[in-house]
Amino acid sequence: MTAPLLEVTDLHTHFEARAGTVKSVDGISFHLERGEVLGLVGESGSGKSITGFSLIGLIDRPGRIVQGSIKLEGRELVDLSEGDLRKIRGREISMVFQDPMMTLNPVLTVLDQMTMALRAHERLSDAEARTRCVEALRQVRIVDPEQKVDFYPHQFSGGMRQRVAIAIALLHKPKVVIADEPTTALDVSVQAEILVEVKALVAELGISMIWISHDLATVASISKRIAVMKSGKIVETGPAADVLRAPTHPYTQLLLDALPSRAKPGQLLGAQAGENEAFQANDVKGASEPYPEFVTVKGAVKRFEWKSGFWGRIGERLGIVKPRKAVLAVNDVSLSIARGEALGLVGESGSGKSTLGRMVCGIYRPSEGEIRLAGAPVMLDSQQGRKLTTKVQMIFQDPFASLDPRRTIGQSIAEGPIAHGLTTRADARSYVAKWLEAVSLDPAVADRYPHQFSGGQRQRVAIARALAMRPEVIVCDEPVASLDVSIQAQILNLLLTLRKELGLTLLFISHDLSVVRHLCDRVVVMYRGKIVEEGTTEDIFRTPQDAYTRMLLEAIPRLV
Amino acid sequence: MTATSVTPRSSNGFWAEFLRHPVPVAAAIAVVAIILLAVFAPLIAPQDPYDLASLVLRDARRAPGYIGQGGYIHILGTDSQGRDLFSAILYGLRISLQMGLLAGAIAFTIGALVGSAAAYVGGRFEALVMRLVDLQLSFPAILLAFVVAALLGQGKSQLIVALVFSQYAYFVRTAHGAAAAERNKDYVEAALSVPMSGWFVVTRHILPNALPPLIVVATVQVASAISLEATLSFLGVGLPPTEPSLGMLISTGFQYLLSGRYWISIYPGVALIILILAINIVGDQVRDQLNPRLKK
Amino acid sequence: MIAFIVRRIWQAMLVMLVMSMLVFMGVFVIGNPVDVLISPDATQEIRQRVIEQYGLDLPVWQQYLQFMNSLLHGDLGRSFVYNMPVSELIASRLPATMELAVIAILLASVVGIPLGVYAGYKPDSWLSKAIMALSILGFSVPTFWIGLMLIMVFAVQFGIMPAGGRGDTITLFGVPWSFLTPNGLHHLALPALNLSLFKMSMMIRLSASGTREVMLTDTIKFARAAGIDEHTILRRHVLRLISIPLVTVFGLELGSTIAFAVVTETIYSWPGLGKLIIDSITSLDRPVMVAYLMLVSLLFITINLVVDLAYAVLDPRMRQGGGK
Repeated sequence: MTAPLLEVTDLHTHFEARAGTVKSVDGISFHLERGEVLGLVGESGSGKSITGFSLIGLIDRPGRIVQGSIKLEGRELVDLSEGDLRKIRGREISMVFQDPMMTLNPVLTVLDQMTMALRAHERLSDAEARTRCVEALRQVRIVDPEQKVDFYPHQFSGGMRQRVAIAIALLHKPKVVIADEPTTALDVSVQAEILVEVKALVAELGISMIWISHDLATVASISKRIAVMKSGKIVETGPAADVLRAPTHPYTQLLLDALPSRAKPGQLLGAQAGENEAFQANDVKGASEPYPEFVTVKGAVKRFEWKSGFWGRIGERLGIVKPRKAVLAVNDVSLSIARGEALGLVGESGSGKSTLGRMVCGIYRPSEGEIRLAGAPVMLDSQQGRKLTTKVQMIFQDPFASLDPRRTIGQSIAEGPIAHGLTTRADARSYVAKWLEAVSLDPAVADRYPHQFSGGQRQRVAIARALAMRPEVIVCDEPVASLDVSIQAQILNLLLTLRKELGLTLLFISHDLSVVRHLCDRVVVMYRGKIVEEGTTEDIFRTPQDAYTRMLLEAIPRLV
Repeated sequence: MTATSVTPRSSNGFWAEFLRHPVPVAAAIAVVAIILLAVFAPLIAPQDPYDLASLVLRDARRAPGYIGQGGYIHILGTDSQGRDLFSAILYGLRISLQMGLLAGAIAFTIGALVGSAAAYVGGRFEALVMRLVDLQLSFPAILLAFVVAALLGQGKSQLIVALVFSQYAYFVRTAHGAAAAERNKDYVEAALSVPMSGWFVVTRHILPNALPPLIVVATVQVASAISLEATLSFLGVGLPPTEPSLGMLISTGFQYLLSGRYWISIYPGVALIILILAINIVGDQVRDQLNPRLKK
Repeated sequence: MIAFIVRRIWQAMLVMLVMSMLVFMGVFVIGNPVDVLISPDATQEIRQRVIEQYGLDLPVWQQYLQFMNSLLHGDLGRSFVYNMPVSELIASRLPATMELAVIAILLASVVGIPLGVYAGYKPDSWLSKAIMALSILGFSVPTFWIGLMLIMVFAVQFGIMPAGGRGDTITLFGVPWSFLTPNGLHHLALPALNLSLFKMSMMIRLSASGTREVMLTDTIKFARAAGIDEHTILRRHVLRLISIPLVTVFGLELGSTIAFAVVTETIYSWPGLGKLIIDSITSLDRPVMVAYLMLVSLLFITINLVVDLAYAVLDPRMRQGGGK
């Protein structure tokens, strides 16, 4: 029996801070065979990324490996000098990072950056370097690499940049590639392409890989074996199929139960038996008479224009300066939502779904067309465009950004209701308390500031703020996209419950089709500012008509 | 899966972090001490340097430690007119600080209002204001201050106008930058979507969040206003001789420097440097602590 | 790219025109140059003649048009005080200031940037802390004070440096230069050092904070993960990434030093532009003031233009007309 390619035993990586030691990696052991892809799964803070950086010897101070061993083909890496480690990095072990926008240097050409990486370990002439770079780009399926090699990163799309990063990581045919959330920042369709290509490359080049991700489904689709991390420890490891079918650790089970794709649509996620029956039996309390065209969007267009200055306009007249093109974010969209309905708005980045959501909520004024709620316009139809109604409220994607860091959450929740006479300054405390309870938060936390809460708690606060305005419609703009799966499940459950209790109408914007399927009655698919398909959730997922919708659905990584 | 937005630490955390750095803490203490010395100068100074009756020509240009007609030790020596230098420095600090703080406060107010208004209103107004500010910022502050001071003539209020004129643009730009960054944040959109009024959003949301960088600029600008005032007084376009700031003391002592009577020029200079240095060290530390890009 | 340049030059010309009006109006409101031109006991007749000769009785807009007209013919007017063409006056003072400013800025950059990059690269080492402490000091101590101290120490105490003046000059392209003779360099050293210390502190602080921020980015981490050595990372990645703010400061500081090295020139009796403008302001020498301020505007507008073009070279994202 030969030794595995990479063997990690009892690895501890700690961060010494003033407040105490953080054991980011707390005694993990695993191995990686030749030609194998190992999936490393965990939620944020589980230590999965730190594990990756420990392997390649790039732990930023004050962190350090305090104990354990990392053996690459029997050679111990933990105590190597910086110089020796550098010789290994890129040549024997290399790494791909999460966000390709941040990893490539914006002011250097791809050729420059690749040549630097080549010369880190080899001596070669400019011509040789160029040939090698072109070859490496071709290998990651970049079309026309002879031209593209001279491009700057900003001339590539996100998926292309990640391909370039992968090409750099593969330049020296390393034995191990560590991929740290390499597809998280990308659209599903691009992610699907990258996954296919990486699988092919692994087979073609015989490289071994550690694929780090928070997403069980992507990991399952690429790796034979997975390891689940929680709080710096590996809680479960085994063949992907086995772990997903019959998890032995309760945490793995919890992660799986939290996935909307594994639950029946509309049911509470991760709920105990019986809970769901009670939930389903509960009738909609806030139900009111039906109103089929409650929210209507008619011929909505949103153009973002570059206003030329005085001289710019003269320049345009004279033909010296080219006028900048207006961006058509939303291009002639019409839809309607019935009272009490949950409409899913699906699309990839740049589809215009967020812009449409902001128009429905009265944040942006449509350039053309009109948006009405129960027959009345949402915004005043003038240049200034004041919002007229308080009946539409919004929940934003990033709960870290959507709460004013300098106001207590109580102040944030109460400011709207006070301004619009839903409560008085004197009664504000009890009013806020009521809504905090509605989102299962202790009313005593009203005097705290947002930074004292976790992401999930903040999103609850943001929901409470929206609810406190007693809206009939809530626009949810990717409300769970920046949350961990287990937290995501809690927020989705909360939205399901609240919707039922308060009879809310939802416009739910998401790139995540499984979430939409779980929560929504009807789905609208957007692509480049236009609606390409619309129908009940059932129909869209069973029998998609449009090619783009089909492609999106096929791109979703599936669990086994 | 990491949140990209910046979480400001609580104010407690901010001070706890600040107190961990001994040099800035010492500098902060020095600033407070200097302000106290300046405020209580009439009580501390052994002599009123403007009371011409108490000046004795026989005491002029005496070295530190000399006991003069007043019967007390001139610990820093005396100047060309027999003034106790220590007293003169305390009174000089008063004037220098007064100028710096007043000019800083006025420039701060103008800058915060104009800058955040430009960011909120946007459009042509924003473009016009920022173009003007950029144009002005491309000229050195000292040149602008010098020209304005020379045009207006000597005097306290004239000097303050000159200082404000040369510095307000920094505040406008900083306030505009901070407010423009805040304007695009989700929490402002969230408030606008309630809907809250524009006035409420600017005063309760945008301004409080745009304030920290402005405060950092303010500390640096107060220090540079003090330095500018000293330079202008040194060049003879600052304050009139009846208002001897530190710069003026240095300037009048300059002629004695080469003849070995160093103290007349050096000690006011040391006082000036300690003041500016202390303010800058505090400002530097605060800036580092507020820089989101340095947080890991 | 060409559209960009054309637009910028176009804007620059407009700004120049506006500046010329502002300068002319601004200078017009100060004092009455007649009092400077004519001795108080001159007869009313002589007074009248001089006023007419200089066109001082005309309304301000006519004076402005006259001025612009002669400006277009290359005539900047005559100095009231020196009684010689302003253009000659300025041309005779400009080289002294130019060589002082250029040497000071080069010194500041050549010393400041490497020190700053080091301090940003290893922010926790004692050497970095010392560099940063010195830079705060250099930032805080007024230039005139450093000038006094340098003279006191090197000229008075040790007597190894001259206290002022330009020293020997040598004529090249019809212009006298100090930096080409040993004696001239000797005279140049202290004022150049004096002038550069503040700028050096600025360069240090700017490159230190830039380096510190860049070092924490994923770009650097990714380069390290590819096995690229630290030296290459600093030279190729970091320097390129921090070069944009540095170029701005280099340009603006060069401009501000040429425009206003007055403090240093006063202390070291350096016969440059700075002394000229101070004298002309105090003596109400209007043509010199107008010409000087116009020259300074032109200088800054040119520098801004060059800096903007440099951006386009340094930052490929700018080349595509803004990019994303």
